[in-house]
Amino acid sequence: MTVVPASLKATEVQLGDRLRARSGAELTVTRIDEEFMGRADMLAFVEDSEEQWFKMPALRDGDVELVRRDDAVD
Amino acid sequence: MVVDGLSGIDGRQIDPAVLDGKAVLVVNVASKCGLTPQYEGLGRLQERYGAAGFTVLGVPCNQFAGQEPGTPEEIQQFCSTTYGASFPLTEKLEVNGRHRHPLYERLTAVPDADGRAGEVEWNFEKFLISPGGEVVARFRPQVEPEDAQVTRAIERVLP
Repeated sequence: MTVVPASLKATEVQLGDRLRARSGAELTVTRIDEEFMGRADMLAFVEDSEEQWFKMPALRDGDVELVRRDDAVD
Repeated sequence: MVVDGLSGIDGRQIDPAVLDGKAVLVVNVASKCGLTPQYEGLGRLQERYGAAGFTVLGVPCNQFAGQEPGTPEEIQQFCSTTYGASFPLTEKLEVNGRHRHPLYERLTAVPDADGRAGEVEWNFEKFLISPGGEVVARFRPQVEPEDAQVTRAIERVLP
């Protein structure tokens, strides 16, 4: 597991990334919606798990706060 | 009946008389959202149609970017003092996901005007329930409370 509190381009977010919303709430991304409320310039990151359902939109060319990224296992 | 055993923001069960036999516009609300000013339009709908057998039912929900983080007291105070809203609020509920409240199990099965059912998209999505308990319309968050398609739908189902 890699702990990397950092800013990340929204388009570079991967499934499994742990993100922090402006509110301070966090989600582990299990789904990425390619638009948000009909806006193609936005993405939406969703955690749909036993723990919680949580949605966080972001501008495609904006940054998001990455809390943690698990190392890929090949 | 909208749903059995629905609790209000004060933690007590909502009096069935508040909802039964009325047209009810159920709206998931949030205090820190760009759409929060829709509270004003919701309040005006309540004033305009409240005496005719209609009520808004606000459902605080923190599942959208954490934009409803407050305590029940904070939410109620915000709703009444900032927007003067007089319609009832439920306790904070989950509207999507595996722990979705039974009320939203019913509501999210209903499609919007484009034929899309399923998850609530964002804060301030609206569902209209007829006095007979049927979910008759669904309006996405961008549709303003006083949009003609909302008011026409309300007027069609008033008791």
